[in-house]
Amino acid sequence: MSSNAFRHLHDRMLRWARPRTPEPLPAVFDRRRIYVLPTRFGLFYSMLLAVMGLGALNYNNNPALLLALLLAGAGLASLIAAQLQLSQLEVVAIDAEPVAAGTPLRARLHVRAAPGRIRRGLRVDMRSGRHDAIILNLSGDRGEADVELATEHRGWLDIPRLRISTTRPLGLARAWAYVWPQAPLLVYPAPEPDGPPLPEGRGEAAQSRLKSSGEDVHHLRAWRAGDARRAIAWKASARRDQLLVREYEQPLGVEVVLDWRATAGLPYESRIARLAHWIDLAERERRRYRLAAPGQPGLGPDHGPRHRHACLRALALMPHG
Amino acid sequence: MVLASAALCLLPLLLQLPMRIAVLVAMTAVLMTTLSWRRPLPGLLRLLLVLSLIVAVLVMSGFSIGRDTGCALLAAMIAAKPAETHRLRDARSLLGFSLFAPFATFLLDQGPLSLAFGLLASVAVLVTLQQLADLEAGDPGTPAISWRRLAGVGRLLLVGLPLALAAFWLFPRLASPLWGVPERTVARPGLSDSMRPGEWIDLMADDTPALRVKFFGPTPPTSQMYWRGPVLWDFDGREWTQPRWLQGTPPARVESRAAGWDYEIEIEPTDRQLLVSLDLLRTAPDGSRLAVDHSLFSHRPLTSLTRWRMQSAPPAHYDADIYRTLRQRALSLPEGYNPRTQALARQWREEAGDDDAAIVQRAMDWITREFAYTLSTPLPGRHTADEFLFDHKEGFCEHFSSAFVVLMRSAGIPARVVTGYTGGYYNRLGSYWLVRRSDAHAWAEVWLPGRGWVRTDPTAAVAPERIYDTLADRAPGAGGLLAAWGNVPPGLITPVLEFTDWMRHGWNDFVLGFDAERQRHILRPFGIDRLQPAQMIGLFALAAAFALLWMAWLSRRSERERDPLLRAWHRLGRRYARLGLGREPHETAGDWVARIARIRPDLEPALSELSHRFTEWRYAGGQITGQQEQAGLQALIRTLRRHRPARSSNPARIPGERR
Repeated sequence: MSSNAFRHLHDRMLRWARPRTPEPLPAVFDRRRIYVLPTRFGLFYSMLLAVMGLGALNYNNNPALLLALLLAGAGLASLIAAQLQLSQLEVVAIDAEPVAAGTPLRARLHVRAAPGRIRRGLRVDMRSGRHDAIILNLSGDRGEADVELATEHRGWLDIPRLRISTTRPLGLARAWAYVWPQAPLLVYPAPEPDGPPLPEGRGEAAQSRLKSSGEDVHHLRAWRAGDARRAIAWKASARRDQLLVREYEQPLGVEVVLDWRATAGLPYESRIARLAHWIDLAERERRRYRLAAPGQPGLGPDHGPRHRHACLRALALMPHG
Repeated sequence: MVLASAALCLLPLLLQLPMRIAVLVAMTAVLMTTLSWRRPLPGLLRLLLVLSLIVAVLVMSGFSIGRDTGCALLAAMIAAKPAETHRLRDARSLLGFSLFAPFATFLLDQGPLSLAFGLLASVAVLVTLQQLADLEAGDPGTPAISWRRLAGVGRLLLVGLPLALAAFWLFPRLASPLWGVPERTVARPGLSDSMRPGEWIDLMADDTPALRVKFFGPTPPTSQMYWRGPVLWDFDGREWTQPRWLQGTPPARVESRAAGWDYEIEIEPTDRQLLVSLDLLRTAPDGSRLAVDHSLFSHRPLTSLTRWRMQSAPPAHYDADIYRTLRQRALSLPEGYNPRTQALARQWREEAGDDDAAIVQRAMDWITREFAYTLSTPLPGRHTADEFLFDHKEGFCEHFSSAFVVLMRSAGIPARVVTGYTGGYYNRLGSYWLVRRSDAHAWAEVWLPGRGWVRTDPTAAVAPERIYDTLADRAPGAGGLLAAWGNVPPGLITPVLEFTDWMRHGWNDFVLGFDAERQRHILRPFGIDRLQPAQMIGLFALAAAFALLWMAWLSRRSERERDPLLRAWHRLGRRYARLGLGREPHETAGDWVARIARIRPDLEPALSELSHRFTEWRYAGGQITGQQEQAGLQALIRTLRRHRPARSSNPARIPGERR
C-alpha cells in the first residue's frame, strides 16, 4: 500500500475516533474514548512471544511455554496499565493570553485526576506539525501542560484535536485519548508592521499630539522595546548610563479617533491590521482613543488594557471579508 | 542497565553451551561492548566481526547443525548486538532478542538452575523495558533499580499470571510436533545403543536421576527390578552394538506369568529414542514400538520429560521357538579374538554334552567363586574377554556381561548383552522409585531350549549389593556429589535429598510432564474422563475470559481510595446514588443532607448524623494519634459501611406502627 493511501485510511480512521466534534470542557477520559494499540516494539514483542510459544508447543517444552506465557501475561497487563493511566483523567480547562495572529499561542491545558496512581510523562501532541513532545506531569491530583498553537488568522481559534498519550509502563502499547476543547481562544489581528503614526485626525487631536510630544516632561522611565526613538531622552540617558524615555503628561482629555474610514483605499485585512497597529501605538503613547469600526458601536474613548482588549477583540471578530 | 539484563539473559544459555563456545561468546560480548562504548563501530567492521563469529562457532561445534549449534549462534548474535545499540529502538530490540536466550536454554535444559536464571533474566528485562518507557516519556523519575520498579513489574506479572496459567493448562496442545525436533549434538551420558567394556565409568559416576517410577498395585522386589533397555547383539571384538534392523521387527512371542506389575515411568530427557521397561513388557505403550528382543523404542526422541504407563510380567517362556537367523546372530563372534575363552568353552561343551543349562551354571559358579567387583580396571587390550576371565578376574558389569556372553557364544549357547538400569531408591515422601544414571547396568541373556531367553546376571553373582541397592550407602547423596562434603552425616543428607528430589518430581509432574495427553484428562478429578478438542477450547476461552476479568479488576483496584474513611463515605454515596439520591460532585455534605431532607425526610436524621460525624473527622479531626481517636475513627467507618438507606418512604414501614 502506498503511503498516500495509508495516510488516507489513517485520516478516515481518525475521523471515527472520539470525540468527533469539539466538546465543551471539562472532559473526562472514560474507557470509550481511550484507545490502546501496541507500539511497533509491542508488535515485535508479541511476534517474539508467538514464535517462542509455537516453538515451546512444538517441543512440548513446558518451562519455555510457561516463560512465554508469563511474558505475554505481563505484556497484556501492561496494556491495561497503560489504559488506566489515562482513565478518569479529566481535562478541566484550556486557557491562553490572546496574541496577535502569526505569533504562536501558548495555551495552557489543565488536567485533574484522582491521586493514587502514577500519571507522569504523559505526552501531549497534535497532528499538525512536528513539535517537541509536550510532557504533562501530574503531581498530586492536577497538572498542566503548555501547548503552543500556531495562529494564522485573527478571530476565534479552532483548537486542534489534542492527543494525550503514554507508552508506559513497558513501552509495549500506546494508550491515547483525544481531547478537542471547544474553548474560546481568541487571536487578535496582527498589527501592521512599520505602520504609519497615529492619524492626525481633527484639530484638537493634532493639538493634543503636539502637546504630548512637547517639553512638558512629567518623568522619565526605562526604555522598553517598541518605544519610539524620538521619545528617548538622550541627555538624561547619558547621565544615567541607561536608556531613558520621556513619559509625557496624560493626553489632556483629547482623544485620537481610530476610524475605519480613515484607512480607506487599503485592502480589507490591511485596514484591520492598520487599526490594530494604531491601537498598540495609542496604548504605548498612553493616549485615549476611540475605535470606530463598521457595524459596531464606537468604543471609547478610553485607554488601558481593558479598553485595548475590547478594541482588539472587536477587530478580531470583524467578519472575514 | 540494558546490557546487564541482556547479559543476565545470556548467562544461563552460556552455562549450557560447550565451554569453548561459551568463553568465545562471553569474550565477544565484552569486547563488543567496550569497543562500541563511545561511538558505534563502522558497519563493515561489524559485518566482518559477525561473520567471523559465525564461522568460529560453526568450526567449534564441528559443523554439526543441531540444537546446540543453533543456540550457540543465537548466543553469539546476542553477544554481538551491543555493537549497534545506541538508540532507544536498538536497546529494545536487543532486549527482545535477549528474551530468546532463556527460551533457548530451556530447549537444552529444564533443570531448576536454568529455570531460576530464566525467571530472573525475564524480570530484569521487564524492569529495563519499564525504565526505557520512562525515559521515552521524558520522566526518568526513579533510579534504574528500585523497589518501586520491581514492584511495578511484579505487579504486572501477578496480574498476568492467571491468564498465563490458564493458557498453560488449557491452551490446546499439540499431540504431535509440527516440525522435527533437532537432536542435541552433544549427547548426554545415558543409555546408548553401544557398549565398550571399560567405558561406562562416567555413567556410573553420574548421580542424576534417569527415571522415576510409580507402581500401582504390587511392587516387584528390588532384586527383580531390571529396567531393560537396549539389547546388544553384535560384537566386533571391541564394542557391542545394537543392530539397526532390529527396530523394524515385531516382538517375539512371550508367555508371561499371570501376576504382573502396573507402573508409570517418568523418563528424563535423553534425546534418544531408547526407552526402558521392566522385564518383560506386555504391550508397547502408545507412541513406542517393541522390537524382536523386546527393546523399546519411542517414535520420537525423548527431548523432554516423558511418561509412559506400562504393564509388565516376568516371562515363563520367552521366544521359545527362535528363528534360525536370530539364533545364528546370537552365536556369531568375530574371528581371531579371545582364543583362551573359546578353548575353555569348547572344553566345557565336551564335558557337558547337550546340557546348555549345566554350562551356564558352571560359568556362574566359576564367576561367583573366583571373581571380584571393582570400578578401577586397566585399559583393555585386544582380547577383552580373555584378559578379564583369566588375568584380572575383576571388573564391573560391562566386563562381566561381555565376557560371559563371549564365553556362552563360544560354547554354542545363543547369548546377548542387555543394558539398562537395576534397582532404584524408594522415596518415601512421594512413594516413588528413583533410578539414577549411576544405576546403569549390563547383564546377559542366554537362550535355553524349552525356556527361551533367560536373564543371567554374572555381576549379581559377585556383587549383589551393587545390584540390589541393599546398602544404606546407595541412598542419594552417599556417593557422587556429596561425598565431597565429607563429614556431613548421611543420616542428615538423605532426607534433604529425598525432599529435593520429591520437589523436583512434583515440578515434573505438574509442569514438565504436562502434554496433550494429560491435558485431555485435566478434568478427571471432577469426573469428566476425556475432553473433546472443542470442549477443550471452550474451557480455555472461559478460563481466559475469567483471567482477563481478573486482570482488569486487579488493575482497577489500585485506584480505590487510600483513605478508609473517605472510601467508606464514597461507598455510602454510591448506595444513595442507587436510589437516585447520590451526592452531586459540587455539593458539600451539608448541602446534600439538606437536599435529602427535602426529598426524603425519613432518611434525614441518620444521614445528618453520619455526615456530621464525617465532616468532623475529615476537617476538624487533624492528626489522628491517640488510641482512643483511632478507635473512634474505626467505629465511624464501620457505621458508615453498615448504613443502608431504606428504599422507599412508605409510611407503613415506619417502626412502631404496625398493620
